[in-house]
Amino acid sequence: MTRLSVTSLMPSYTLEVRMDNPLWRRVLVISAALVVGLALSVAILVIAGVPAENLAGEFAVTLLDAHSINAVLVQAAPLILVGAAAAIAFRARYWNLGLEGQMIAGGVAATAMSIWQVGPEASRLVVMGVAAAVVGAAWVIFPTILKLRLMVSEIISTLLLNYIAMYFMYHLLFGAWKDPRDSYPYSPEYKAFERLPELWHGIGAGYVLALVVVALLVWLTQLSRFGFSLRFVHDNPNFARRAGLWVVGITFSSVLISGALAGTAGFVVSASIQGRLTQAFFTGYGFSGILIAFLARNNPLMVVIVGMLYAILFVTGQNLQVFYQVPFAVVQLIQAIIVICIAGSDFFLNHRLVRRV
Amino acid sequence: MTNIAVELSGIRKTFGGFVALDDVSFTACYGQVHALLGENGAGKSSLMNILSGLYSPEAGSIQINAMPLSFSGPKDAVRAGVGMIHQHFKLVDKFTARENVLLALAVDRKKPNTQEVHQKILRLASRLHCEIDPNRIVGTMSVAERQRVEIIKALALGSRILILDEPTAVLTEKEASSLYEVMAEIAATGTCVIIVTHKLRDVKAVAAEAMIMRQGRVVATVDPKVTTTAELTTLTVGTEIPEPRRSTKPSGDCVLRIEGLSGRDDAGPLKGTSLQVRSGEIYGIAGVGGNGQTELVDALSGVGDIKDGQILVGTTSREWTDATRLSSAQLLDLGLAWIPADRQNCALATRLSVQDNYAIAHIRSGIGSRFWINRRAIRKLASQAVAAADVHGVRSLAQWVGLLSGGNAQKLVVERELSRSPKIIVAHSPCRGLDVRAAAAVHGRLLEARDNGIAVILISEDLDEVLAISDRIGVMSNGRIVAEFNAPGDRQAIGDAMVNHV
Repeated sequence: MTRLSVTSLMPSYTLEVRMDNPLWRRVLVISAALVVGLALSVAILVIAGVPAENLAGEFAVTLLDAHSINAVLVQAAPLILVGAAAAIAFRARYWNLGLEGQMIAGGVAATAMSIWQVGPEASRLVVMGVAAAVVGAAWVIFPTILKLRLMVSEIISTLLLNYIAMYFMYHLLFGAWKDPRDSYPYSPEYKAFERLPELWHGIGAGYVLALVVVALLVWLTQLSRFGFSLRFVHDNPNFARRAGLWVVGITFSSVLISGALAGTAGFVVSASIQGRLTQAFFTGYGFSGILIAFLARNNPLMVVIVGMLYAILFVTGQNLQVFYQVPFAVVQLIQAIIVICIAGSDFFLNHRLVRRV
Repeated sequence: MTNIAVELSGIRKTFGGFVALDDVSFTACYGQVHALLGENGAGKSSLMNILSGLYSPEAGSIQINAMPLSFSGPKDAVRAGVGMIHQHFKLVDKFTARENVLLALAVDRKKPNTQEVHQKILRLASRLHCEIDPNRIVGTMSVAERQRVEIIKALALGSRILILDEPTAVLTEKEASSLYEVMAEIAATGTCVIIVTHKLRDVKAVAAEAMIMRQGRVVATVDPKVTTTAELTTLTVGTEIPEPRRSTKPSGDCVLRIEGLSGRDDAGPLKGTSLQVRSGEIYGIAGVGGNGQTELVDALSGVGDIKDGQILVGTTSREWTDATRLSSAQLLDLGLAWIPADRQNCALATRLSVQDNYAIAHIRSGIGSRFWINRRAIRKLASQAVAAADVHGVRSLAQWVGLLSGGNAQKLVVERELSRSPKIIVAHSPCRGLDVRAAAAVHGRLLEARDNGIAVILISEDLDEVLAISDRIGVMSNGRIVAEFNAPGDRQAIGDAMVNHV
């Protein structure tokens, strides 16, 4: 039996650890956390000067306006991909902090395909996407070998490779790949057939790609033998080895997939949002990806939901800045509050108040 | 006669619907050793956790020195004079003994004086007839010595009521005898000593009074001096448990040869181990812990570090495969299986479900293909296994396996390993921490495996266990097998071989 620790809040109540958590309670607690987070955010926005009655309208606008929905979906695609990349790595106990570097690697690879005009027009997008995934995975091979062979912490090695990728990209953007038209340090624009098109009523190809990837990940993690083995590698690598699982191979595969997904995210950002390779296209995605994976508890389906939530927060934040001059710092504050509320709701999932004798 | 130290009345405690304690009353006096006897899950640890302030009861009262008290946490209990020595010691390994005692005193907001504490430790240690150097780092001490530090710590805090939770589980026979003396000594100074145990030997050796619990209720309160072992067993488990009889079926050909196995370090534990095991026999390896047993099991499980020597496994066509440096996966394919001593770390994934922890043994066959794991097949296999192995405490196959009690988890592990239909099975301390009933069940499974032609290697520090079911007994000392005996072994000769290094 697990030891329970009992502390007292008030004279007649104590806390105890819960033993099980049915789905309805989990949904209830997370919804309650969301409501609390939103309530706090509303309070902050009102203090920041946004008239209260406009706020309801604001959220409705984000959720119902065609332009905003489009923006949300476009923004959600790379967030879902990066969140999925973090999640699959975390499932193998590999702390991949190099998501941004892998995104850059993917973006650079896709842009290279565009600049070197590899492949016929009809399949250029596919070539770019595949190149992005492959190079993104390649960018994570070296730190993984360092970890598996020499026990070098991947937290440090993947993180530092972000900078190497970034400076290499600057080298290209300020040099050989500088746009000749205006000499600005971004790549020449992608041609029309090199951009991810809008497929149907605002749903872009990038979003569909993200959903397809998640569907594959759901199969991989929940239904396949690989996913079954991966859960043992995550919970107890010692036992996994003695049970005959190929721990090194399973870990390596998960990490490669993670790199490939991050690379694909880089491709999606460049080919749908930016339309070219820019200096700062990757900024913030690494941190967001990690947070999304944590909130989603490394579950691919939850990554979609949490990614959408992030995208909604992001677009709403943009609208607040543009229409109400709410400073960016306040927008970030609100995002942080909502994340803290949801993460903190864990406490209520794991404990309950009991009246003491 | 003697004054009452502790009186618990009508205690009731439930954990989410499971009734751990049902109207339990317990009394203990100063100057006596009381025993709480019961199987795992009987409720004795829960009762003592309530007395030491870790849990609070839903009903019932606690009286110490005839004053009703209610604890809001362990600190209240310590202030009331209750000191608990847990099975897993609460010591900081990197601190010295003195620093650990200082820490405990400081947490209780007493202002400790280092010199005073140093002297106090020496005084208490001499009174308990043991040598504890307060300057030694706890991490360098043996398990028995660490236990002494825990006891001294509790006494230094001024505990008049000392509770020991399964104290002999981690001790050798000699160390346990020495502990009994210490406990008698402490009781003689007027402290109330309570020992929570499932071992009859503890109760008979040291207790003035024993309260027997079963399934959350008090079954009886007896005087161990006038109660026989058989009577105590019956009270504890509800029926008589006969020890499984050793079989007389003859064994077959040799299937495992270990020759001159040595580890990587010259100072390493294995120094040329050699032995042979036949199919259909149980080869028991007796010996004091730390003589290379763990390294031998590691080598046979595919996680060892071997420099010299060979492990040879016999195939059906009378050929020998060199299994010395194979991986765990390869050894499993060759027909080996193992039951490790450290269940939590090496035999289970504690946060995964019961059914998954069973099905992992059948991951290549029987639960689906590479592309689709058949959850229904898993559930069916697991539920059959749980029923066949008589595993209790499984409210749902999807619950965490870490929630199962030690005995039940071990039954599941044994069932899983035997379901691989291995040719050779290595059992390392399979009954450590298990109560009488669960241990008998595990022994029964091993004997059954033996009768089915499996070669069983049983490695255990419990000489009784080795003597009870082995066909041949090897004594391991200093990294080698130094003597071999046929069953029934001469206990004296084996004991001598264990302690005399050649």
